[in-house]
Amino acid sequence: MASDLLAELTAHFNARHLYPTRSWLQAFLSSTRPNTPLPALKQTALFRLLATDLTVSFEQPLHTVFPQDILTSASQSRYLAGPVLCQLLDVEDIGRSRWSQVEAIESQERGEKTKGREIVRVVLGEEEQQQLAEKSKGPFKLLLQDANGLRVYALDLSGKCGLDTNSPMGVKIVLRDSDVRRGVVMLEPGRVQVLGGKIEPLDKEWKRSRKDRLMRTAAPNADNANRT
Amino acid sequence: MARILCVAEKPSIAKAVANHLAGRARAEDVRGIQWVKNYKFDYDFPRWGRSSVTFTCVAGHILQQDFGERYRAWKSCQPQELFEAPIEIYVAPDKKPVAANIEAQARYANVLFIWTDCDREGEHIGTEVRDIALKVNPRLEVCRARFSNIERAHIIQAASSPVPLDDRQAQAVAARIELDLRLGAAFTRMQTLALQSLLPHQGEPNKVISYGSCQFPTLGFVVDRYLRVRNFVPEPFWYIKVAHEKDDITVRFTWKRGHLFDRLAVVIIFEKCLIAKTAKVTKMLKKPTKKWKPLPLTTVELQKMGSRFLRMTSQEVMTTAELLYQKGWISYPRTETDQFDKGMDLKKLVEKQQQDSRWGPFAQNLVNGGFSQPRDGRNNDKAHPPIHPVNYVAPHALDDNRQRKVYEFVVRRFLACCSEDAVGEATDVEIDYGGEVFSAHGLTVIARNYLDVYPYDKWESSQNLPVYTVGETFEPTEAMMHDGKTTAPGYLTEPELIGLMDANGIGTDATMAEHIAKIKEREYVVARPKGGGAAGDGGGRGGGGQGRGGARGGRGGRGGAATGNDGGGRGGGTGGVQEFIPTTLGVALIEGYDNVGIETSLSKPFLRKEMEVQMKAICEGRSTRNDVVQQNLEQYRAVFVRTTQQINVLKAVSTVIPTLRGSPHRIVVVDRSAVL
Repeated sequence: MASDLLAELTAHFNARHLYPTRSWLQAFLSSTRPNTPLPALKQTALFRLLATDLTVSFEQPLHTVFPQDILTSASQSRYLAGPVLCQLLDVEDIGRSRWSQVEAIESQERGEKTKGREIVRVVLGEEEQQQLAEKSKGPFKLLLQDANGLRVYALDLSGKCGLDTNSPMGVKIVLRDSDVRRGVVMLEPGRVQVLGGKIEPLDKEWKRSRKDRLMRTAAPNADNANRT
Repeated sequence: MARILCVAEKPSIAKAVANHLAGRARAEDVRGIQWVKNYKFDYDFPRWGRSSVTFTCVAGHILQQDFGERYRAWKSCQPQELFEAPIEIYVAPDKKPVAANIEAQARYANVLFIWTDCDREGEHIGTEVRDIALKVNPRLEVCRARFSNIERAHIIQAASSPVPLDDRQAQAVAARIELDLRLGAAFTRMQTLALQSLLPHQGEPNKVISYGSCQFPTLGFVVDRYLRVRNFVPEPFWYIKVAHEKDDITVRFTWKRGHLFDRLAVVIIFEKCLIAKTAKVTKMLKKPTKKWKPLPLTTVELQKMGSRFLRMTSQEVMTTAELLYQKGWISYPRTETDQFDKGMDLKKLVEKQQQDSRWGPFAQNLVNGGFSQPRDGRNNDKAHPPIHPVNYVAPHALDDNRQRKVYEFVVRRFLACCSEDAVGEATDVEIDYGGEVFSAHGLTVIARNYLDVYPYDKWESSQNLPVYTVGETFEPTEAMMHDGKTTAPGYLTEPELIGLMDANGIGTDATMAEHIAKIKEREYVVARPKGGGAAGDGGGRGGGGQGRGGARGGRGGRGGAATGNDGGGRGGGTGGVQEFIPTTLGVALIEGYDNVGIETSLSKPFLRKEMEVQMKAICEGRSTRNDVVQQNLEQYRAVFVRTTQQINVLKAVSTVIPTLRGSPHRIVVVDRSAVL
């Protein structure tokens, strides 16, 4: 029975280009109640798998990771057929100055929003605060990682690939049919499939330190440590 | 014959109105005040028939409020007690002869006809006059005149259709006066007592650190911008420029993305462009375009334009406009309305301007068929029309240059409103080059129309664009990757500050200029002409590169605002725009209150805006004076208590002040790291 389930789940995942390790699958199965209906089990499994670190609980076949030499910057353009499974480690809005993003975060921290020239006070809970967070148009520069741990930069010039500065870190993505220029993957809508998920500790830390990071990048030499 | 007592808000109005009604009125002196006259004449009112009229005036508010004797001295009570200490209302000592005159005249009158200005403040002054008069003569019939300029026909119309006094508006003012007194006194005493000893003594030992519920948010805007400028970090960006030569014209295309903050990204994109070699025209659009004529003039707009183009501060503009109004040259200058009543005979007003040598021909053109109904804005205060010239006056007949400039502006604006939009043809070309969009824009002005009389707007033809056709491909003659740096915003200018106050409900159009003048007078901010010397700081965060305006976003062709990336020594001559820089005291106060950590810090507009909204509610009968006063006192009391509990936080910020001994006006950067 257990091996049937294992096969069922494996097939379910593989159809989504996900190849979890056997040990992860076994650990998952042992943690579930035996009489859970299969559809529910599949859903739970997918949810849990997407919340893990791609470099730990996956054994991806060769065609679903980046080619070893992808980072060669001498290459003007090369084709990446995919499907490559990767996870998001960082995203930057390169359409706005970092400092303006810092200012936006600070006014949000103060509970203020500007509506034209009017300053509006926003009294909201955490959740709503998140939803209100600036919707930026990009373009975005992203840092992606495959199952082998290889990190590659990507550019979403259209700003329409479904990933932005509000995306959760660790979200899993499948890339297909893409152009790689000078070691940078060019993301195009329709060629990026966002599977979802996130790595909770990574995401938390990323959000917490985002303002500091922006400030440091904006002024690498200035001492901003004392700024509140 | 009925005896009618008319009372205006100030001597000039009494004189002007009396003379309009009487032809020539006989002026009698009033004992004790030489600037008040009682004008005596007979007049045939539709409502009361032939009457014997006495036309007199007051000079603003007659009554004054203060705390009872026991609370008046600075250290007589805990400042917090001022939130509920009894208030006494009495005739201001210097207004006693004014009140006595009203009493004397009211005693024998049948009707009290009030002619104070038609705004909230005027309504309140009207009730003061009424109460004094009714005390000596309870049988008086009381009414008021509704008018918005001192032009003869208008005044006669107002005299024949009296309306009742609006007690709600008066109640709103009463609420505002009480709140200003209590909050002003309580916070001023509290913060002065706490901070005074920390201030440098400049020969004036006991400097008061005053608080006002409008002043502080106004100061807050200035400090906020100042800190943004100070903390600003310039960042590099990269962009691509494309040029193409066609028909001997070099067309410069700009990148739709503007610029990006990542070099690698721009390099990759640029490379894509170069590989693509040719660009393809994706859009070629010629379409008629217009520059809309300005909206009818409101007070806020007058103040903004005044400080931008007339080299005057908003307060100077308002005082000058007030004088022009009192002399009957322009309509009432305190108005929120930016739509003309359809029934108004604007053409007749235009006709009066035909005799001028500067804009006369333009006005004549309007009279001869060029007239076009002004645009309607969105605001109507239902009390006054937009500011407009009521009568023609030749420049030499005005007292000084300021009056000439303001009058000229009001006239030109009015004529522009009554003229046609400027018409032109816009050409937009878009190309696809390596998957990126670049565009070029051209403008040909066809008919300047209103621009001919309104030099304050700029709209000029640009370079002609050659003809392109959609689908056409070409190889750009030049494609370059450039870099640049972001520049700090400028310090807050007066027009910007007025805009912020307006948008955030700080003060009314009538009082904004006063609040700005107050924070200057209190030495919380220093005003200087924009583009003057750089702030004497040294060691600012992020180093030089603060030249503003720069390549992007310079206000269209306004002299000195363009160019100048050298930090200091920008060649001045930017005209009269003033910019504000907070003094160290100003920064310390705002940061202090912010650090106390109250959700609605006194430096923010929220509390005051709420109060303003409630004033409106009183006027509209949705709230009462008492409710509004109590509610606001409660809110501010919470802030007060929290502040006194954390008074050390407030003090901590101000301890940096003694380092400025001897140079309170010098602009010194408050290093936030030292403060926080």
